[in-house]
Amino acid sequence: MSIKSKWTPSMIARTTAAWGIALLLFFPLIFMGITAFKTELQAIAVPSIWAFTPTLENFEVVNERSDYVQFAWNSVVTSVLSTVLGLAIAAPAAYSMAFAPTKGTNGLLLWMLSTKFMPAVGALLPIYVIFQQLGMLDTTAALVIIFTMMNLPIMVWMLFTYFKDIPQEILEAARMDGASVWDEFKHVLLPLGIGGLASTGLLCLVLAWNEAFWALNLGAAEAGTLATMMVSYSSPEGLFWAKLSAASLMAIAPIVVLGWFSQKQLVQGLTFGAVK
Amino acid sequence: MSYLELKGVEKYYGDFHAIKGINLNIQKGEFVVFVGPSGCGKSTLLRMIAGLEEINGGDLVLDGNNITDTLPSKRDLAMVFQSYALYPHMTVEENMSFALRIAKEDPAVIKEKVEQAAAKLNLTDYLKRTPKELSGGQRQRVAIGRAIVRAPKVFLFDEPLSNLDAALRGQTRVEIAHLHRELNATSIYVTHDQVEAMTLADRVVVMQAGVIEQCGSPMELYERPANKFVAQFIGMPKMNLMPASMIAGQSDAAVEVGVRPEHFTLTAAGEGQMKGRVEMVEALGNETLIHIELEGSNEMVIVRQYEQTSVRPDEQVGINYDASQLHCFDAQGQAIR
Repeated sequence: MSIKSKWTPSMIARTTAAWGIALLLFFPLIFMGITAFKTELQAIAVPSIWAFTPTLENFEVVNERSDYVQFAWNSVVTSVLSTVLGLAIAAPAAYSMAFAPTKGTNGLLLWMLSTKFMPAVGALLPIYVIFQQLGMLDTTAALVIIFTMMNLPIMVWMLFTYFKDIPQEILEAARMDGASVWDEFKHVLLPLGIGGLASTGLLCLVLAWNEAFWALNLGAAEAGTLATMMVSYSSPEGLFWAKLSAASLMAIAPIVVLGWFSQKQLVQGLTFGAVK
Repeated sequence: MSYLELKGVEKYYGDFHAIKGINLNIQKGEFVVFVGPSGCGKSTLLRMIAGLEEINGGDLVLDGNNITDTLPSKRDLAMVFQSYALYPHMTVEENMSFALRIAKEDPAVIKEKVEQAAAKLNLTDYLKRTPKELSGGQRQRVAIGRAIVRAPKVFLFDEPLSNLDAALRGQTRVEIAHLHRELNATSIYVTHDQVEAMTLADRVVVMQAGVIEQCGSPMELYERPANKFVAQFIGMPKMNLMPASMIAGQSDAAVEVGVRPEHFTLTAAGEGQMKGRVEMVEALGNETLIHIELEGSNEMVIVRQYEQTSVRPDEQVGINYDASQLHCFDAQGQAIR
């Protein structure tokens, strides 16, 4: 009884509204999830069919026609490697900017952010040519490099804000205690900054996983990621709604599961350390 | 030979000359306090000794070795920070043993040293706690413990009591004095609180605007200040300063004369060497401070007496000064001896 009495009319209204908005935003995903289990005919029926016998046919076809495991493996390799490489570059950069800033530090940070102002397509031609000249088109290495560079500004910024929150005196105390730079990193900075490193890594993993533009342009065939596999089902010969849905579902499934288990870190990361 | 020598040490921040060629010799076992107003460079000088600030000129010699450019981690100095700067993710025990663990000491030796230091600082019951679970005073004791465990060549204290409340500050000050006597460790202590400086120091270094104004024992500074700045900085309330013309029999060079509040005595109106009108009476119980406006000028002086008084504001009074306790200053503010 006491639980019921907590539900005031305004709370009911707000809860209903929240669920309504959430469902509205989530609807395309639900629709895609449902469509993946329809036949192509059922998928394009107007009005939509909601009662049907689910079929796994689309998944089988997708798996047969395009090598899902290969695409998924490419996605895992490129996103994990680019995240590890990015953290290895961004952490020392953010460390020096946070704890030994110079006159140029602020300008450098802004410049890095400004590289994200330009649409990626603006840099496509030179980058394509560079990779072509290097003979790296359609290689995993090319995608790892480009994903790393794409995410570096965000990584440096996020880690910078996290490191900024660590009082400098604690690092100085470690130095006075005889800690070398490596000791300082291992025993003080890493344990104190692990939350920031984890959420930064996680966010960049998701961004690299979902990246489609560079993946399509630099590595569609051999090195293609799941994003490129998805695109191959929206072809000029006509849309295969059910198969596209099945491919999409298979592409996002791993990252959705990962995101589900790490939502806390992700949200923390997305607020850029502002809310603690 | 001195244990720690500062030879013409300089610090610049861009165009700002923060530390202007400081020379100072510190003996082994000595407790030296740097004191001065905010921004005088005392903390900067300490951080330069620690190695946390670069030295832009001059030399720093510790125990015969030039350590001017040595990394802080290699100087074998310990520092107690104002903010305590404990490692938040480590227990008290881990905090205190960190330096020894980094130095790869034998775990049995580490355990023993930490336990000894903890016992000295009443921290034995808190060894398994994290800094979060401690009070401010306990945290500061852990910070001190972290320094003691290492037995460093010199202890550096950067305003260690500023974050504590008044009662705890007094208590911790006594503890630090006690520890120093027990360990006989060379210590450099920075503070803006002259009570800390006077009570803790073997030698006080008074600084202003990046230079040493005077360096001496607490009583030397109090009784024979080298200049007007030191005279007014040391002593609460401040030394009274008056134009030399108001006090007869001064040398021609004297421009101002200083008298400490306790070297004035009140007498009845119409008597005494000077006259004035009582402006305010501060009865503090153990002492009474009487603010008086001198007749014939707008000079305000403070008279301190250890008895209670019956004088009231606006009353006329006479004042006598102890002629053997006058401090004369020339036009440059330097003391005339």
